[in-house]
Amino acid sequence: MTVGPTISSAPTTPTKTRSSSRGWWTAAGLILVPALIPPISLVWQVITKGAGSTIPIARLAQLFANTVALSISVTLTALAIGVTTAWLTNRTNIPGRRGWLILSAMPLVVPSYVAALTLIGATGSTGLFATWLGINIPTPYGFVGAWAALSVFLAPMAHLITSPALRLIDPATEEAAVGLGASRLKTFATVTLPQLRPALVSAGLMVGLYTVSDFGAVSLLRYDTFTRAIFTLYEGQIDRRPAAFLSVVLMVVAVAILFLERRTRSRAGYQLGSVKRRRSLINLSRRVKFASLGFLSLYSILAILIPTAVLVFWLLRGINAGVEIGSFWDETVRTVSIALVAAALAALASLPLAMVTTWRRNRLSPAVETSVWAVYALPHITVGVAVISFALAWTRPLYQTIGLLVLVYVAMFMAQSVSTVQDSLRRSSPSLEEASTGLGKSPFETLRRVTLPITAPGLIAGAALVSLSVMKELPATLLLRPNGFETLAIRIWSSTGEGFYTSASVASLVLLAVSIVPLLALTYRDLSD
Amino acid sequence: MKRTFSFVIVALLALGACSSGDGSGPLIVYSGRSEELVQPLIDNFEESSGIDVEVRYAGSTDLAATLLQEGDATDADVFFAQDPASLGSVTDLLMPLQGSVVDRVDPKFVDREGRWVGTSGRVRTFVYNTETQIALPETIDDVTDARWMGVVGVAPTNGSFLAFVSAMILERGEEATLDWLKALANNEPIDYPKNSPIVAAVDAGEIEGGLVNHYYLLRLRAEGEGSSAENWFIPAGDVGSLVMPAGAGILANSDKSDDALEFIEFLLSDEAQEYFANETFEFPMIEGVEPAKGLPPLGEINAPNIDLSELADVLDDATRLVAEAGLV
Repeated sequence: MTVGPTISSAPTTPTKTRSSSRGWWTAAGLILVPALIPPISLVWQVITKGAGSTIPIARLAQLFANTVALSISVTLTALAIGVTTAWLTNRTNIPGRRGWLILSAMPLVVPSYVAALTLIGATGSTGLFATWLGINIPTPYGFVGAWAALSVFLAPMAHLITSPALRLIDPATEEAAVGLGASRLKTFATVTLPQLRPALVSAGLMVGLYTVSDFGAVSLLRYDTFTRAIFTLYEGQIDRRPAAFLSVVLMVVAVAILFLERRTRSRAGYQLGSVKRRRSLINLSRRVKFASLGFLSLYSILAILIPTAVLVFWLLRGINAGVEIGSFWDETVRTVSIALVAAALAALASLPLAMVTTWRRNRLSPAVETSVWAVYALPHITVGVAVISFALAWTRPLYQTIGLLVLVYVAMFMAQSVSTVQDSLRRSSPSLEEASTGLGKSPFETLRRVTLPITAPGLIAGAALVSLSVMKELPATLLLRPNGFETLAIRIWSSTGEGFYTSASVASLVLLAVSIVPLLALTYRDLSD
Repeated sequence: MKRTFSFVIVALLALGACSSGDGSGPLIVYSGRSEELVQPLIDNFEESSGIDVEVRYAGSTDLAATLLQEGDATDADVFFAQDPASLGSVTDLLMPLQGSVVDRVDPKFVDREGRWVGTSGRVRTFVYNTETQIALPETIDDVTDARWMGVVGVAPTNGSFLAFVSAMILERGEEATLDWLKALANNEPIDYPKNSPIVAAVDAGEIEGGLVNHYYLLRLRAEGEGSSAENWFIPAGDVGSLVMPAGAGILANSDKSDDALEFIEFLLSDEAQEYFANETFEFPMIEGVEPAKGLPPLGEINAPNIDLSELADVLDDATRLVAEAGLV
């Protein structure tokens, strides 16, 4: 991702890699240009058609402040939770370590609108807490609710991204620090954390920019961000120009965040070398062990047990009232298959993009990274509307086809797989590729025998992350899908809109169930490693 | 590298092949009404008529904007929307309907050029908690009275609220509407994203009342709750009891206008109207079909006289005024 060429010892030797560099850069260009259609089409619309009615500067400033405040606080909280769960489940001998490892990743399968919906369903005087436990907690609308829901459900991103990095850290450095008399905490802060930097930056961007683009939690929990305002405009108004204008402003904000991030980060990286050393798990003291178990249990209760309980509560309530429960078989098949195809393509597309931003870096690399993340940060409804105008004007046969929808998913989510593949590449060195070329192997052979095996973990993790995102995606799917192509996310949306909570709960439970599969693929890597 | 590309190309071709549609396919309905509400009815239509129907479900405003973007190139044959504002904003794309459907419905609920026809009625209402001590509003202005300070739920970004504000603009003009919205904002209403959570909150006693459409309460009762809430139809004859029909029209460019007309005729049949009355709890649009138990006949509700055909012209103004008043 954005953390420069981290392998300082391995500058690419120009003579042997020039031709393969060109190949990778061509591929990256071929992928990036169509991926940039949504933002370009959007800017073009605003330039040619104007902004419609003007939005007062004071409102823009308010939206900006709200968006940035939420994004930063969610990022910090999610990183704190995610790194803690990752450290506990990867580096310590906490009882039930592997079980906790999966549980800590699991909340990622909960879409933000379901998270918000179940938060509302759990609290308040008719909520689950009040009905089953007799505790009336007022529903936390506004900043607190949006911050809590997003932090809790995005923390697994940080957990998943930092887990492999944590296992990679050479325990010798930590042991040396402890041996020199540093406390566990101090060692973690001064030795472990700095080595996690690339993973932390990846996870931070993934969480922070997701927060910028999220509409589910902010709209249901009523916190006014750019994306919520954009949604409100699209939903309430026939004229789509003001929303397009606001989306361009949002994109500028996202690019500014990326720029700031680039300016402030340092060039820390993994220390390669002794990765094969058998690491030992850290022994936790009794007290710390109990505290940690408490923390993990509390997190699992908040992020898994409560949302599931709310959904089951609605389901039982509906069954009691005699509501008929439909099957969502077709929706499930559609959701799963489109997610698989999009995930596979996104993983493939991310290989050249990751390559040109790590091993084959040049002065264009920062622009490539910024573009990938900028598309990721766009609200999905905006991407949808931009693609509709483009497709109607230029690629009419693709309009409202599954093919176009898949391409849009790839463009929107490939930042996630680019980031995991970059991570794999950074842990290895281009010298391996050079050795292969030097031994007279063809570029194709080198790709198959060297590059793909090195990047396989990143490709798999990236595909799994993307498939989770696709399964949960709503706004772009709603706008771009073929007629009748209802997914689980769409059914959840349509049934909650009209107060069909029983249907909504069934569709949500099915979505959670099928999301477990890519999640297991993600954690399998951590479990077996 | 090459392999990567051929993978991508093969995959795309496969996707293209499995998703391309042809011109002679089914009747395409763009439905702003949700799948849960109308799919069973559409299944019945397919069975009885032998016509295949393909439905695109999305928000009504969303679909109207999409239709405008698609223009003449649209594949849609029928637009079935939740509110007259969405229908009204695409009237230029709709064809005049035949008397066989238009004459069945009260002209109040038909486009003045006959391009769309109301298919079921939804009434704006004041839902209240049955244990409330506060005197119920006699007019829509009473809702902004200090006695309702901080205890009324609204959904200011929701389509039905915006349609209600649009109607108020037609009734009172922009300035007076902005005054009313500001008065409402000063009364510190609790805002919700949608109607259904307002009704749930009223039922739970978290708030005393709310501005919603009438059927959400009946819907909540069907899910097993809602015994502590009741609908109050504001009696003054103002927009507080606005009747907003859901309705349908046929795209002028449709090559299946006969099938499309048959579909709309079906929506106005006794069977469909009884379905709307008893399953979606809306008011039937034709004579001889009674509304669901617990609802008064539509004629007994003192609804305002609003030309619904004009609603679309002020919808965007409504969105602007709601923001200007500080409600979002």
